[in-house]
Amino acid sequence: MSGRTADSPADPIEDYLDRLFVTLSGSPRQVRHTLAEVEAHLRDAAEEGIAAGVAEPEAQAQAVARMGPVSGVTGPVPALARPSLALARRLTLTAALVGGAGFLAIGAAGLVGRILLAAKGAAFLTAPWPAGSYTRADCADWLAGDRGTHSCVAAMLSDHVGDFLLEATAAGLLGLIALAAYLVLRQRWRDRSTLTALPAGTAEALGAVLAGLAAVACLGQAVNTEMIRRGVGAGEPWSLAAAAAVAAIAFALALRRARRRSATA
Amino acid sequence: MRSERLKGHLDLLLLSVLSRGPGHGYEVITRLRDRSGGTFELPEGTVYPALHRLEEGGLLASAWDVVSGRRRRIYRLTTAGEAALAAESTQWREFSGSVARVLGTPAAVTPWRPGRRAVTA
Repeated sequence: MSGRTADSPADPIEDYLDRLFVTLSGSPRQVRHTLAEVEAHLRDAAEEGIAAGVAEPEAQAQAVARMGPVSGVTGPVPALARPSLALARRLTLTAALVGGAGFLAIGAAGLVGRILLAAKGAAFLTAPWPAGSYTRADCADWLAGDRGTHSCVAAMLSDHVGDFLLEATAAGLLGLIALAAYLVLRQRWRDRSTLTALPAGTAEALGAVLAGLAAVACLGQAVNTEMIRRGVGAGEPWSLAAAAAVAAIAFALALRRARRRSATA
Repeated sequence: MRSERLKGHLDLLLLSVLSRGPGHGYEVITRLRDRSGGTFELPEGTVYPALHRLEEGGLLASAWDVVSGRRRRIYRLTTAGEAALAAESTQWREFSGSVARVLGTPAAVTPWRPGRRAVTA
């Protein structure tokens, strides 16, 4: 018995495997397999030395020396393992996840807006512009788009509500496309260098912070509108605040899961 | 022998070593050292990228097994690997024979006679 613990930093074989682990590129499975192979090799070589009468620490050091530098085991560094490319891929994944979730949240806000529109009417969802801030030509345009009314204000509200719901729907579709792209790319870029280019949970933390800030800002605007305009036009910020809050909670839960995974890895 | 010189022929040597039977990485390096009479000394870790490359190329196949209480990856030559070994061996014999003739090994020396001009290509 050597008397050392399994985590002893003085174990040459463990030290070598640590260095190899942080240097190897490739899929997680390739990394695990190479580590297992090299460890078996080093233990065999050390046992051979011990059988020949060499003391254990010396036999381990000799086994490591014969194995050669870690770069010999990893071989030539493939283009995939270049830090710049791995980082670019990781940043792309992060942008696709955070951006996709953000756009999807705006799409969800559109759905909340539709509910509020049905429940409380167009004037709750968007506020009419103040009198004097629009022209007769604006009015004519709005009325042309809403044949069912002769009121300029009603036509304006209908136009603004339509714009909000259309933009929200478009954002939602864009979010779905971005998230689909994220899932496809994440499946393709499962090499270790990409997975470890940023600390675990970076995308989730970024998403939680951005969505949380958006939720607070929209909530503030909604409360302000409720107090000053007695709710006229508060529906849009309320719906955005609700969707952003849900996104922030989802990101926070994902962050907690990522940190737990990282801690047990 | 310098390991840089050996690396250029490592694939052929590994295929040849494994043509005598399957083996794991440590066995492969041990056989290589033994069969070369200790001449072929190279950093042992360098066999792994070569083994993995040969497997990716379909010349070797591997499977995990527990040998002497330790989990090991056992490599064996594939049919494509046998064919590649035969072709590479032939090329190597032709090449080494040509080098020997150029260097003037006893069997290949042509006696030089005074008055004869050297012919240059």
